[in-house]
Amino acid sequence: MFGYILKRLIQMVLVLWVVSVIVFLMMSFTGDPVFMVVPIDASDAEIAQARRLLGLDKSPLMQYWIFISSLVQGDFGQSYVFRQPAMTLILERMPATVEMVMVAMVLAIIIAIPLGVYAGANPNSRLSRIIMSFSLIGISLPGFWVGMLLIYLFAVHWGVFPSSGRGDTREFFGLRISLLTWDGWHHIVLPSVTLSLGTMAILLRMTRAGMMEVSRHDYMKFARAKGATRNDVLYKHGLKNALIPVVTIFGLQLGDLIAFATITETIFSWPGMGKLLIDSIYRADRPVIVVYLMLVALIFVVINFLVDIVYTLIDPRITLK
Amino acid sequence: MKILSRNALRIGAVGVAFVAATAAFAQDKSVTIGLTSDPSHLYPLAGEELSSNIMYYHLYDPLVKRSPELEFGPGLAESWENVDETTWRFKLRPDVTFHNGNAFTAADVVFTVNKARDSIRPDLVANIASITAVDDLTIEITTPKPYAVLPNDLAELLILDEEYTTATGDEQMDLKPMGTGPYMLEEWIKEERLVLTAFDNYWAGTPKIKTVTFRPITNPATRTAALLTGEVDVIQDLAVRDVDRVKREENIEVMARPSLLNVVLAMDTRAESPTIDGPNPMTDQRVRQAIAQAIDVDAINQIVMNGFSTPSTQYVPAFHTGYVDGMNFREMYPLDVEKSKALLVEAGYPDGFTMTLDATNDRYVNDAQIAQALASMLARVGITLELNIMPKSNFWGYIRVPTENSSFIMSGWDVPAGDAGSMYGALFYTRGVKDGYGQVNRGSYSNPEMDALVDKADATQSLEQRDQYLQEATKILMADIPMIPVHYEQDIYAVRKGVTMTPRVDKFIWAFDMDVE
Repeated sequence: MFGYILKRLIQMVLVLWVVSVIVFLMMSFTGDPVFMVVPIDASDAEIAQARRLLGLDKSPLMQYWIFISSLVQGDFGQSYVFRQPAMTLILERMPATVEMVMVAMVLAIIIAIPLGVYAGANPNSRLSRIIMSFSLIGISLPGFWVGMLLIYLFAVHWGVFPSSGRGDTREFFGLRISLLTWDGWHHIVLPSVTLSLGTMAILLRMTRAGMMEVSRHDYMKFARAKGATRNDVLYKHGLKNALIPVVTIFGLQLGDLIAFATITETIFSWPGMGKLLIDSIYRADRPVIVVYLMLVALIFVVINFLVDIVYTLIDPRITLK
Repeated sequence: MKILSRNALRIGAVGVAFVAATAAFAQDKSVTIGLTSDPSHLYPLAGEELSSNIMYYHLYDPLVKRSPELEFGPGLAESWENVDETTWRFKLRPDVTFHNGNAFTAADVVFTVNKARDSIRPDLVANIASITAVDDLTIEITTPKPYAVLPNDLAELLILDEEYTTATGDEQMDLKPMGTGPYMLEEWIKEERLVLTAFDNYWAGTPKIKTVTFRPITNPATRTAALLTGEVDVIQDLAVRDVDRVKREENIEVMARPSLLNVVLAMDTRAESPTIDGPNPMTDQRVRQAIAQAIDVDAINQIVMNGFSTPSTQYVPAFHTGYVDGMNFREMYPLDVEKSKALLVEAGYPDGFTMTLDATNDRYVNDAQIAQALASMLARVGITLELNIMPKSNFWGYIRVPTENSSFIMSGWDVPAGDAGSMYGALFYTRGVKDGYGQVNRGSYSNPEMDALVDKADATQSLEQRDQYLQEATKILMADIPMIPVHYEQDIYAVRKGVTMTPRVDKFIWAFDMDVE
């Protein structure tokens, strides 16, 4: 176990380093950030001054060296546009995103798993067919379209939910959480539903496929024969064995939604961090992009690690080496 | 039982609080404004873009105030006069305090000017050679040369509190602004909302609206939805496709006004141009005229802009210094494909030529579509335009003077100072002969007569004379056509009935001038 964690840590550092190099290389093609901060009629002297103030007057290799050496000391650099520490900019937007993703994932699980088990156990029933058609719609519909449709129906037409924003929040261990207020829940419904649809559909289809596969095995028939109830058979014996691929996909989806919920955030003007990434790309704000993508890489590494641990809990035959 | 009664008490308390809150609402006017983006800064020396500018003018004041119609009048300076050709004396307004109670004095102005010089915005004080405090409420500014429009420039310099700014530091100033403006920062939750409250001791009177909430809503359709649901009272940049839908609502008013931003096409006038094989045809005025007469500005207005653009008559809007009354580019060079072809034949290019148009796709309204329309229009006279369209983050560096990549560039230009001089000096003055002139002359246009007129305009103390010189310059430019002015975009706002708001030409929404019923 210890060896496994150590191996993972080394891998992680390697991944983060590679990400930083790739982003630095990529950013040299996306335009000169200095022109995003100076007025368009700036003189050469004014541009030179801005370049110096942003630290862009040094060679790319030198800039990278400065970045890496301050990184080791815990300094993640300053945004060119905001003139604020890049890490702070990301972290202050993170709770909003994580919150929305959590609600979306919970929603996806509690709907997708039971429906998937049902559809897998009764592949020929009419209800299963209806469920499967809906899941197909869930996969195919683009998020921005669903989001706009929900806003039109639930906010503009019926006036049940607000169209955008995060609503009231409450401080909790220094984090601003909107799930602690009624108004916050009111605001989170539409974006979370929008975000969850795709994942819900994928999880549902994975669960169904797994269940259909598992149902053919003898131990299922044996369990039923030994007198276990149908639900026991399905959920304890069946689902547990069908769950490995579902958990894998779940982990990947979770990381994906946290990192790139950009579209949903933009549509609902949700103050999350995905929007920051897109804005930073438009503004060629390299320090924010680098730190953001390194953080995303870290999130994926951690989630995959947790997924591995969950494997061992679901299936004791799997061990971490 | 005990628990129940405690809960009942709690519900009662909530009820009372609710009533109190609504009562407070009835007394204090408030407004919520949907902006296209969150401000990047609250510290005026950290950078500029529209949302930040809107906040700056709520939190801070300049010495000279710019009206919604771009007239200039007293701000933190009560009056000003010329001591000699290059020296100005400004009398400052007495009894003005910053939000923290500090008195506003001449030292703060001197501090701000010096601070700006070392910041990322030295352009704000480019025309100030030196500044001294004569006494607590008088400052003297010298300019490097006689400069009649110094007060207009000062409308963009927002005054900082020396003591507070020094103590707070640049990084924190962005989060904790402190000025003399009509509003104070109450709360700023990035990308979510920015709340301002009225500064009761504001020198120009207590603001009518007590609480102003700005919400950044980037997606245009969501912005419209938020207005329709009543979550916001005012929105900026109503999407053109939503105009009809919103106009049908009884309690919402749609307002449009031409902006200051002139979309212009710069033509290379060097002997050889980067994207043209052989000699550059555009050195010939007739070819430039042919291009102008091949462009159907009305079609761009109707088809690309849905009617929400105003064709440009000159390089600057009508109320600017240097505008020639009655002169109209559209009448001088109307759309005429036959004439255009004839001019090309006359100039020796009967078969036209090929060049590249550099344009953005995320800077101006429908910019990429305009570029495509231009390509098909010029194709009719035999000029083949290859389109090189890119996001603005690449664009400004790519077209940067010296223009090593471009022959034909579409960009925008505005002069919030209301004066053609700075535009002509930057865009049309011969490149590389005088510091601070011609730095954005992307077509390398050069006309000694034009240069001389700009020099004269910049050397006179009198505004009338400056206007005369610049009008002469306008006439030369309209004849020479170094650039083709296309159109001004229109700013479209939607406002809930009961909210009084006059759109400003400079787009800076200002709650101090607004009211709600």
